[in-house]
Amino acid sequence: MSVILLLFLVAGLGLIGWLVARAKAQALYTGRGSMHSRPGHHGWHLALWIVIPALLGISAWSSLSPSLIHSAVLADPAAASLPLMDMERNSILSEAYAIAQNPNAPVFNPDAEKLVPAIVAANQKFGFIGAALAIVLAFVGGAFGYTRIRADYPARTRVERLVLGLLLIASLLAIFTTVGIIASLLYETGIFFSKVNAVEFLTGLHWSPANGSFGAVPLFWGTIFIGAIIAMIVAIPLGLMSAIYLTQYASARMRRVLKPLLEILAGIPTVVYGYFAALTMAPAIRDFAGFIGIANPSTESALAAGLVMGIMIIPFVSSMADDSIAAVPQAMRDGSLAMGATTSETIKRVMIPAALPGIVAGVMLAISRAIGETMIVVMAAGAAANLSANPFASMTTVTFQIVQLLTGDQEFDSPKTLSAFALGLVLFVVTLALNIIALRVVKRFREAYE
Amino acid sequence: MSKPGTNWQSPDMAQRLAKRYAAERRFKRLGVLAILVSLSFLVFLLVSMLAKGVGGLDLAFLTGSDSTEASTAGVWGAAKGSLLTMLVTIALALPMGVLAAIYLEEFAPKNRWVDLVEVSINNLAAVPSIIFGLLGLAVFINTFNLPRSSPLVGGMTLALMTMPVIVIAGRNAIKAVPPSIRDAALAVGASKMQTVFHHVLPLALPGILTGAIIGMARALGETAPLLMIGMRAFVSTPPAGLTDPSSVLPMQIFLWSDEVDRAFVQNTSAAIIVLLVFLLAMNGFAIYLRNKFETRW
Repeated sequence: MSVILLLFLVAGLGLIGWLVARAKAQALYTGRGSMHSRPGHHGWHLALWIVIPALLGISAWSSLSPSLIHSAVLADPAAASLPLMDMERNSILSEAYAIAQNPNAPVFNPDAEKLVPAIVAANQKFGFIGAALAIVLAFVGGAFGYTRIRADYPARTRVERLVLGLLLIASLLAIFTTVGIIASLLYETGIFFSKVNAVEFLTGLHWSPANGSFGAVPLFWGTIFIGAIIAMIVAIPLGLMSAIYLTQYASARMRRVLKPLLEILAGIPTVVYGYFAALTMAPAIRDFAGFIGIANPSTESALAAGLVMGIMIIPFVSSMADDSIAAVPQAMRDGSLAMGATTSETIKRVMIPAALPGIVAGVMLAISRAIGETMIVVMAAGAAANLSANPFASMTTVTFQIVQLLTGDQEFDSPKTLSAFALGLVLFVVTLALNIIALRVVKRFREAYE
Repeated sequence: MSKPGTNWQSPDMAQRLAKRYAAERRFKRLGVLAILVSLSFLVFLLVSMLAKGVGGLDLAFLTGSDSTEASTAGVWGAAKGSLLTMLVTIALALPMGVLAAIYLEEFAPKNRWVDLVEVSINNLAAVPSIIFGLLGLAVFINTFNLPRSSPLVGGMTLALMTMPVIVIAGRNAIKAVPPSIRDAALAVGASKMQTVFHHVLPLALPGILTGAIIGMARALGETAPLLMIGMRAFVSTPPAGLTDPSSVLPMQIFLWSDEVDRAFVQNTSAAIIVLLVFLLAMNGFAIYLRNKFETRW
């Protein structure tokens, strides 16, 4: 019996339980205050008593049954002829499982085919036992729940306690994810550092994983150069000036039109930016580099990736600057204007200095976003680990290398693939630090004006 | 600055004023220029994609799957992969995100643990997407041995990424429901749980859905984490189920952009148009929802 069918069956039983319990509880009602809980709560109470034991049974069984099936198959006479060598044996077995699951799967080994009937039989047998177990559990739970349908039984409290537990688990999922990220990165990085010196990784100047040299400084430099320097040179002036124009000069109507338009830039997928950078921007920049007399300009340049990344970040910088300028008290602006300063003088001398902490925090968040950006650099920045300040040179970044190291053929515990996790850990720590500092600055800045 | 007795009408003063006004105009023009540069880039990008891609948009392209031949390659296989991935994402991220938002906004006590949850949600929303890909690779594929390249794993990875967005949007929407609604429900004898599920949640739902759609639009355009879990399969037939190897729309764009054959340029641009149309539709729907159901209390 397939699991899906079983789940439907359990859900159906739950529904029946809900209807039965509600009907019975309604019959118990004798007047105001005669019941602790409403009939619907009794319905939910019984339904949960049916569904939860059955689901627990199914999940326990499905984690247990593969090993039971396995031993049943090995006990079958057809398995007696299996080779004793572990590798051969396992490959035949896994092939047999694949055929049992999907009859159209390709057959490489005739031995595997002989095992199929045994596997199918075992699957059926244990599947049937599991289904029977689930249904028995549903009925036992249901019987217990049914005896609780009494006028004074606190069904509502019980159901609500369970729901509260569910809410708590959902909110803990964020912590689990964070812990999962940190644990998996730390674990793989730990293995990597047992093979490659951590100091060498963090301070080495030569990156060439194919030859076993893991000096990541060129990657860090490329990341900073593209994400934190070139992209910010584009994004900060454009973002800041558009925020100033939108908040200080534009009429409300213009603002309503322009702001969403600007925000479209943030909604375009990064792969589209990457394609644009590779197809349009990079050749143009190469031609420009040739024009100003640089010999052999490469198509993949840090400048192309950085420029496009900067444009992508504009709306982000703009909205952060917008928020922090809007947080400056109106009285400061009015005071400056009343003294006879022009609007631009007010902005430059009063608003910007007052909003500076917020703007700086916004820029930090923008940098953290830019250095974590992947597709643009994968498509436009190149793979060569150069340590130079020439924006026309091809340059590589942390994210590019992670992609490069983990796509294509890989065996999982070579230092080459593991180094990707070490790079990921560095990226995670740096973006986390930038975010935490930025959020703290913003918070303090808000408090200063409250 | 002005000396006592300065004549405000003197030519000296007029010159100074003119200079200041000129600076004012320059500054304002600079602002206009910044916006124009940003927007003209947007227009340039969209127009260049349209110009290159619109010729490739025909029925065969919209219903075909990937192929080594540019003229027969289509986008439906990848679109279906995207659809299945998004189904998994929304099925996981929406309920979990809404439940977490309800807990944090309505039930959570003020203590260290809850602070930790809040901090980690805010940080997760800012973690680079590629890190989620590494998590998916290490946990879903290497630890749980779930099928590589499948919409199931892709959807789960993107769900982890989208959940914080939905939690943050959900909390704001729940916060916007005025306390008087809760007080009224509690006053007629509803339990805290009934108040939340019968009154607060329905009123906050449009806001939550708007946030969810925006989060989904972001997940739909995401490529990097899916690259990590190997969703770059060459799929010549659309995936039939959640565990089949598949590709997604942005990944198809990435794969085609890597092709040496110049004929794929048109395909890539056409696929970008398809993706942008989807995103535009989703964002448009979110804005519609917000405008239609937004209540000013």
